[in-house]
Amino acid sequence: MSDNSGNGTGFDFEITLDGEKVGVRRGESLYEVSERHRKEIPTLCYDPRLEAFGGCRLCIVELDGARNPVASCTTRAESGMRITTRSARLDMHRRVLMEMVASENRDTDVDPLSGYASQEMAVLLDRYEARTGRFAGARSGRSRPDDDNPFILRDYENCISCYRCVRVCAEQEGDYAISVMNRGFETQITTEFEGLLGDSACTFCGQCIQTCPTGALADIKALANADVPGETEKTRTVCPYCGVGCAVDLMSRGDKLIGVQPAMDGPANEGALCVKGQFAFDFVQHPDRLAYPMVRGEDGELHETDWDTALDRAAAGFTAAVEDHGRHSVYGVASGRAPHEAAYMMQRFIRGAFGTNQIDNCSRA
Amino acid sequence: MPLFGYAGNYDGMNTPSDAELLAKWREEPAPLLPLLHEFHERDGHLSENALRAISDDLRIPIADLFGTVTFYHHFSRDPGGYAHARVCTGPICALQGADELLAAMPNAHAMPCPGRCDEPIPVLDRDRVLCGTTVAELAARPSPLPPAPHPDIEECVFAHIRTPGRATLAGYRATGGYSGLEDALCGRPGALLDAIDASGLAGRGGAGFPTGRKWRAVAEAAGEPRTIVCNADEGEPGCFKDRALMDYDPHAVIEGMIAAGFATGATRGFIYLRYEYPDTMRILETALEEARGDGLLGADALGPGRPFDLWVRRGAGAYICGEETSLLNSLEGQHPFPRNRPPFPVTHGYEDLPTVVNNVETLASVPHILVHGAEWYRGLGIGDHAGTKVISLSGDVARPGNYEVPMGFPLMTLIDDWAGGVPRGRKIQAVTMAGLSGGFLAGEALDVTLDEPDIRSKGSFLGAGGIMVFDDSRDMIEVAHSAMEFFAEESCGKCFPCRIGTQRLTERLHGDGPPDIGAWIDEVHDLGDTMMQTSACGLGQAAPLITESLIRYFPDRVSRHVAESA
Repeated sequence: MSDNSGNGTGFDFEITLDGEKVGVRRGESLYEVSERHRKEIPTLCYDPRLEAFGGCRLCIVELDGARNPVASCTTRAESGMRITTRSARLDMHRRVLMEMVASENRDTDVDPLSGYASQEMAVLLDRYEARTGRFAGARSGRSRPDDDNPFILRDYENCISCYRCVRVCAEQEGDYAISVMNRGFETQITTEFEGLLGDSACTFCGQCIQTCPTGALADIKALANADVPGETEKTRTVCPYCGVGCAVDLMSRGDKLIGVQPAMDGPANEGALCVKGQFAFDFVQHPDRLAYPMVRGEDGELHETDWDTALDRAAAGFTAAVEDHGRHSVYGVASGRAPHEAAYMMQRFIRGAFGTNQIDNCSRA
Repeated sequence: MPLFGYAGNYDGMNTPSDAELLAKWREEPAPLLPLLHEFHERDGHLSENALRAISDDLRIPIADLFGTVTFYHHFSRDPGGYAHARVCTGPICALQGADELLAAMPNAHAMPCPGRCDEPIPVLDRDRVLCGTTVAELAARPSPLPPAPHPDIEECVFAHIRTPGRATLAGYRATGGYSGLEDALCGRPGALLDAIDASGLAGRGGAGFPTGRKWRAVAEAAGEPRTIVCNADEGEPGCFKDRALMDYDPHAVIEGMIAAGFATGATRGFIYLRYEYPDTMRILETALEEARGDGLLGADALGPGRPFDLWVRRGAGAYICGEETSLLNSLEGQHPFPRNRPPFPVTHGYEDLPTVVNNVETLASVPHILVHGAEWYRGLGIGDHAGTKVISLSGDVARPGNYEVPMGFPLMTLIDDWAGGVPRGRKIQAVTMAGLSGGFLAGEALDVTLDEPDIRSKGSFLGAGGIMVFDDSRDMIEVAHSAMEFFAEESCGKCFPCRIGTQRLTERLHGDGPPDIGAWIDEVHDLGDTMMQTSACGLGQAAPLITESLIRYFPDRVSRHVAESA
């Protein structure tokens, strides 16, 4: 923590926030300072992981000496600034902005399974009582029902042009697969030459889905489970596919896994996942999955058996191999689809039981 | 006149290959726009192959390049599109029958005001502009010279503009050109900064920021190289002064830029010229060649071993690129959204380095200040107002054109006495200010002097100095609708209030709003208020002045409009 002030507070200077003097670290935006002090400043184009953009203008605050309110996300705090985060004028502008947003969209409510941030717009519409039907007119955005990729729904009729998807794709994922075309109300999120995501530089990491505040970009696989009964429960775990250690929230209803969302506070991934961590969970409850032990019979075919028989057969095979060829004749490869506990047991087993370090994982990274 | 059926700019043997074009521009400063123009003109459109080649060579992600190309009006993605004529349907040309002309030209499409409001309807045909009110009349013609000045008034930027040959280096020198710069180069940059400060010169593109302070900020900012950018993206409807200055006095702009380079320690500069001025492009290129040949630009331009050079970069049709940070993004090859400010271009401009962005008229004033002195320039204005302002006057006046007036000059004296008043026995109904951005003035508010304080007291602003006159036969709802349609079309799409608000106001002026006058006015006021106070740049902040002034000055017409639409 920087502390050039010598006052031991960790702050470089002070500003006045809603009448109260608060410390600021150099380089912080007015929004960051306000958020630390739990001010409820609305945003739609803001994602703390991305460079502040200043598009939605909902985060405006009153700055003493400025004629107009300023966007707190793009305004750096400077020593001595006096700002107000709530006022009748700000509330009025925020309500009008939300009424404008509501007026350009086909739907103002979307299924929370759409994505991590998908409820942001709906929550603000309610907070500012903006479902008034004012400013009715043309709607913006052309959806892409022709894009038949199995992961990312491109329902741009619900797009509000905050460009979080474009920015997360460039700034976080580094894919630069999507961009902004045209101007003004005709603005449209696009790939190169308006093609399909599958033909673009997209790696289907799904980060665009998870940062979209309206569900215009949505998780097709999770939405396919929308009819599964029960409350959605989230269980925090770490993705087993590789060694990065991305934190994920597994979404389940009853005993059914219905989807995956990245943990925005995951220390290794900060909301990022790859296509496997985000979308490759079908195997968990797949009907083809092996659910009981099998051993090969005299006829050369696999037959269902009980655990003792299977384990005895495996132990006999391993023992014979070690006796004939020594302990280094054994090589263990754990599956990236196995739970972490299983992976741990596997390496303990290979190291402890055989005395070899020849243990690996199928998706070492 | 081959308006149609054009396939490309070259015939057979001389067609440059992709590799040749890429090699020609790769190492040049700000290469994206010129490269796009080369491919566009060679192929007659921007093909997927061309964009992929440019993307690979300049290392711009293809999705970004594709999106950016679609931002501009004049890059066509359809084969043959480059050769399709574009007809101005701006506010003044609409009065002259632009819709009929457009309908008479197959394949042609409409374009926003290309800055020829003192002439018949302009048609952009590839790299030339033709003017006429019918297809048969269309012909290329030089920019009109400013009308003769009033004998009692001393001009600054127009002082020598009517002298034949002034656009050539020899002609420019013969009328005193470059002598002020040569004297200044013998002194210190600080002395030049002091002189510009003392003159009271302020930005003539609309913002009115003191030029001396801007130059000083760049001189003192950390980071090199520094850059001088001339904003010649004169996109405001009803503004055509910069074209006259560049066409007839290009060396004055160049001299002003070299002086700015010396004052700030800059080593390079760009003239960002709007696409719709192809003749001006050639005039500037010629003038730069002459200046380079004479050593005014190049390795020793600012003294032995002190380089300064200039390049022209042509835009591709986007009003927002006249906003300085949007211009800088465009120049850099980025998507032309305006940047968030602060930081300002004086510290984080072109390539994030200290940059002066000045309007053409501002820079063209500098040589005159260098010759005649700061006191002389300051004294040209009326009362406390320093200097002069060029007003582009158009619409229902007998003599439209560019008039250089002292700051603080009465509007109605300009319209009635200088420009011959409203013709055909009609009466004045309204004028626009700042092109379209200042909205309308009408009635008693027309009793105003041409300076920011007085015009702002009427709820408008002078801006770049475009004034359009509408007589009492014109339908102000129609004028307001076409103005708002322009803003909606030119809104960049970055910030919500402007992107949605300009669309909603356009719809309400078209007759699609609430059928009840109270609800209609509530919606229009609320949209306007939020746009003015929360939009990220001047476009969205200014656009509602159209509707606000319409409701203020023409309440009966507004009521009738709402009743008729119900």
